[in-house]
Amino acid sequence: MQAIEVDHLLKHFGALVALNDLSFSVGEGETFGFLGPNGAGKTTTIRILTGISPPSGGAARIFGRDIVQETTQARKQMGIVHETSNIYDDLSAWQNLMFTAELYTIGRKEREQRGKELLELFGLWERRNDRVHGFSKGMKRRLTLAMGLINNPRLLFLDEPTSGLDVQSNLIIREVIRDLNSRGVTVFLTTHNIEEANLTCDRVAIINRGRIAAIDSPERLKATIQSVQSVEVAFSGTAPGREEDLRQLPNVSEVRKEGDKFRLFTRDPSHVIAAVMEYARVHDTRVLSMTTFGPSLEDVFIRLTGLDVRARGVSTVD
Amino acid sequence: MQAYGQLHAELNAAWAIAKKDIAIYYLKPNIIVSGALFPLFMFLAFAAGKSAASSVMIPGLIAITILFSASSIEPVSIPIERRMKTFDRLISAPISLHAVVLGESLSGFLYSMGIAVVPLAAGLLIFGTPIISIAHLVAGIILTSFCFATMGTLFAAYPTESPGDIMSMLNLVRLPLIFISGVFIPIESIPSIGQGVAYLSPLTYGNDLIQAAYHGHTYFNPLLDIGMLCIFILVFQIFANRLYRRWNE
Repeated sequence: MQAIEVDHLLKHFGALVALNDLSFSVGEGETFGFLGPNGAGKTTTIRILTGISPPSGGAARIFGRDIVQETTQARKQMGIVHETSNIYDDLSAWQNLMFTAELYTIGRKEREQRGKELLELFGLWERRNDRVHGFSKGMKRRLTLAMGLINNPRLLFLDEPTSGLDVQSNLIIREVIRDLNSRGVTVFLTTHNIEEANLTCDRVAIINRGRIAAIDSPERLKATIQSVQSVEVAFSGTAPGREEDLRQLPNVSEVRKEGDKFRLFTRDPSHVIAAVMEYARVHDTRVLSMTTFGPSLEDVFIRLTGLDVRARGVSTVD
Repeated sequence: MQAYGQLHAELNAAWAIAKKDIAIYYLKPNIIVSGALFPLFMFLAFAAGKSAASSVMIPGLIAITILFSASSIEPVSIPIERRMKTFDRLISAPISLHAVVLGESLSGFLYSMGIAVVPLAAGLLIFGTPIISIAHLVAGIILTSFCFATMGTLFAAYPTESPGDIMSMLNLVRLPLIFISGVFIPIESIPSIGQGVAYLSPLTYGNDLIQAAYHGHTYFNPLLDIGMLCIFILVFQIFANRLYRRWNE
């Protein structure tokens, strides 16, 4: 049985079409990444899949349960970690966790045992009686994730789980996602961090303007744009006009300056390497380092969504 | 059996929501002002200096205290929860919107019951106002509290993150209710057009029951009062459910 089945989903708000004939499925135990620029339809999709918002057409099923007709049964199988750490600042970590457990009708003994396990897992047990108001952003995020897991879900929706977090919280959350995956929990992940999706997800869907632009494993998606390979090179010293010189080299389609390095995009890295060495010899400069790269998931994302924020110096894409 | 299990889950969740509201919102300054102090000042503004007997003043004070206190929790708590995104946690839980509406209303109901004890105790201990019918009093306080708590939840369905927006709309309804529901002016003394409007006010029926507890007679049949309050509760609950569904899209 599929964990999620989305079948010709439509959603419009008045004249605005937010989702246009969206279809995909997520297998049980899979970690599935959902990427897309702002306004692409990620949040709308999650709100429909979690039963908050009804679709205008089509259907969505969670473990075979229709999310519109059998909302409660479908929700019992899922945990939801919203993008914002939506916890009650005036309650303690323990009270927040117990309140969530009560919404899921988990008995007292079970919820207290599970609550203790989760707070220990997320490093919050010592602070369990403190009001959340004084928690750091990372601690709040960890508590939000603990609240999403209180009902031992078979499917976990994670909306931007590590966005803007400290290193410790990042590591804990990533480790928990890996652990969940190893225990067969299905994870539906939306993230701005494309590298995180690359490292975490079995499959990735890229959504753009309410439609699925591509859906496959990260490696297969990268293989579809082999033309976007690159050579990264660093020279000793700087020289005016170097970027323009490099752009004139044969087989180079694009040059980007990235810090003290240049990135040369090409279909043929071996010829470009030779050309760069020749350029260094002619201009009496040394090559400090040279690395070749295959296409990244971010390249796929940019190609499919038509975005190119990297060229303007932004390292991640929303 | 499955239906019983789901009903149990819904009631448990509603109670959990009410407990959460009690822990977080009961002592918020704006709730104390709008729910406890505002009705007292309203009452003093209209009743001070009048030579009416305490058996007339106390039931009126109880009625408007319930009106304001019961409908003061949700118009504050729900917009705040929308802003903090904690409301998403409630509407994505494995419970129906009816349970969410019930839980939110329950917190207003309990708050109102607690606040209503103050004028009730003042009547008994300070003014020595006798209660003729405990049954009318209990029915009046419980049903009126629940009715206005549900009305507060209904108004809080309006999709705003600012409590002030909802309070403004709510006061447009609450303040006129005081004057057309027999709290300060007996219904029989209101002009006939006002009497027509009075029939549409839930406060009319709640006030009638509470007045009866102190006077021993009602303007309407007590069963009509109870029936009308139950109908208002049901209508508010159903409309609130529909509005939350529509406006959460």
